[in-house]
Amino acid sequence: MFHKVLIANRGEIALRILRTCRELGIRTVVAHSTADAHSLPVRLADESICVGPDDARSSYLNIPAIISAAAITDSDAVHPGYGFLAENAAFADVCRACSLTFIGPMPEAIRLMGDKAQARAIARDAGVPVVPGSEAPLPGPGEAQRVAERIGYPVMLKAAAGGGGRGMRVVREGEDIGQALAACQSEAGAAFGSADVYCEKFIEGARHVEVQVLGDRNGMRIHLGERDCSVQRRHQKLIEEAPAPALLPETRAGLHRAALLAAGAVNYVNAGTVEFLVDPDGRFYFIEMNTRIQVEHPVTEVITGIDIVREQIRIAAGEPLGYRQEGVRFEGHAIECRINAEDPDTFVPSAGRITAWVPPGGFDVRVDSHLAAPCVVPPFYDSLLAKVIVRGRDRAEAIARMRRALAETVIEGVKTSIPFHLKLLSDPAFASGAAPLLSQASGATPPLSQATHDPSRPHGTR
Amino acid sequence: MARRRRADRAIAKQTPDAIHLVARLGSLLSELGLSGIEVTVGDVHVRVERTAGSAAPAPSAPGAPAPAVADVAPDALVTVEAPMVGTFYRASSPTAEPYVHEGDAVKEGQVLCIIEAMKLMNEIEAKVGGRVVKILVENGQPVEYGQPLFLIDAQR
Repeated sequence: MFHKVLIANRGEIALRILRTCRELGIRTVVAHSTADAHSLPVRLADESICVGPDDARSSYLNIPAIISAAAITDSDAVHPGYGFLAENAAFADVCRACSLTFIGPMPEAIRLMGDKAQARAIARDAGVPVVPGSEAPLPGPGEAQRVAERIGYPVMLKAAAGGGGRGMRVVREGEDIGQALAACQSEAGAAFGSADVYCEKFIEGARHVEVQVLGDRNGMRIHLGERDCSVQRRHQKLIEEAPAPALLPETRAGLHRAALLAAGAVNYVNAGTVEFLVDPDGRFYFIEMNTRIQVEHPVTEVITGIDIVREQIRIAAGEPLGYRQEGVRFEGHAIECRINAEDPDTFVPSAGRITAWVPPGGFDVRVDSHLAAPCVVPPFYDSLLAKVIVRGRDRAEAIARMRRALAETVIEGVKTSIPFHLKLLSDPAFASGAAPLLSQASGATPPLSQATHDPSRPHGTR
Repeated sequence: MARRRRADRAIAKQTPDAIHLVARLGSLLSELGLSGIEVTVGDVHVRVERTAGSAAPAPSAPGAPAPAVADVAPDALVTVEAPMVGTFYRASSPTAEPYVHEGDAVKEGQVLCIIEAMKLMNEIEAKVGGRVVKILVENGQPVEYGQPLFLIDAQR
């Protein structure tokens, strides 16, 4: 087992990783920016090291600085958390070259699944249904038109180097696909360093359902069930739950099998998530694989009783999986709300100073948060303040418990998304469990049942 | 071993207006609960920092001191901070003479030390000239980004 782990991340996930390291008897070092110098994870860690200024590019994304920090603190492993360098194959390569264990998958798997067009091909070759679309990046408007006509409008143009909901646009019948392609290629080149764009059928009314997988170095792989992340706004997941409601048993089983096939195709090791779209008829299609731990991992932990971060660390240390598939049990229903520092109506981020923080508690309520009032919410990173996770014996009880928990949550000093979450949770469409994937545009908060599926803001995110 | 030149981030000299600015920044520091504020007004650049370690239960850096750095003294004491994470060395090699000693006069652009990261030796240069008043870290000590390394009196 590792003696010391460097946590190359911040906020709630840094604290999450720190806690499990503590329980495993591992010493912790948090690498942080100047803005996070007084944050809770930094204060709780055994050691901390400032790796750069506020700007993420110079700190959390600064590979030489992170590696140097690991070297001078004699860390034997690095946990990259999510975001930042978590899916950076080059970073994983450098770790390997420096004999620093990267707590995550092999660089090859990150690379293969990182190219979203290639990931589709890998999944398809493994026998996993994929969203109908182009097999390779589109060479030009002529091919884009042909593919769109073959698979049928509406279609989605996606950046191969994108993912997580970025670099996508929908093209409907009658629209100029050549122009859309050119715009998409240009944006992709600027944002992701590659102008490769592929095309997929845009499935209306689909749900976003993802499957958690875990693999060890002996080639054993299991799934930990699925999560539904259909409630989103502008690529941001707002509410996640496990298990996914309203799935036919054969769809659920099919999703689990397909996820293991996709993971197996890249000999996946450590924790990962395979994302699918499920259409209103229960057919599912692979969209992408996330080669990292995800923000919403707690909903899976809470219904399985399995500490995913602990498994990540054990697997990276060479230990075999702690569970066999038959030993994985699912009990109850879990929901997570991501509480963000933002205006609940306009969704404009609201950085500032937290003067009061009273987290919810009680039976089957879990809070993952780095807040410790008074503290500053810096404007340089994402606006996630806290994840509130509840479990209920069934979905209705979980919803009621979440409403109770959010109602007692106090966050003063910044605006939060709590009022918006409460509205969503009261919406009958949400309560029915059959609400399709939605991604709301900014503006006044429409209830779920009236929310329009914004075609320019499709699905999928961290 | 490769060498790479790195400019240091330094702080310019003062005028009486700066003193007033500093007083205002100091109270803003408390009001907003910040740990540091940095402002440039015209050709005056001021930085005010709170002492590190408010209710911190654990040591904060690998062996680093937690100095109260308030670069506000009228004698224009300038702090040279580490621009990167790595290991601090006073000389270019174990057998070479240190680049500077306490009391030495240094010129702008002069190499003060090396910070080594991932086997790359980075020369850290003085951004202002003056006299080295204090060397704050030991040879071979790991340093973090922003860690104070030298105090230079820029007026002498």
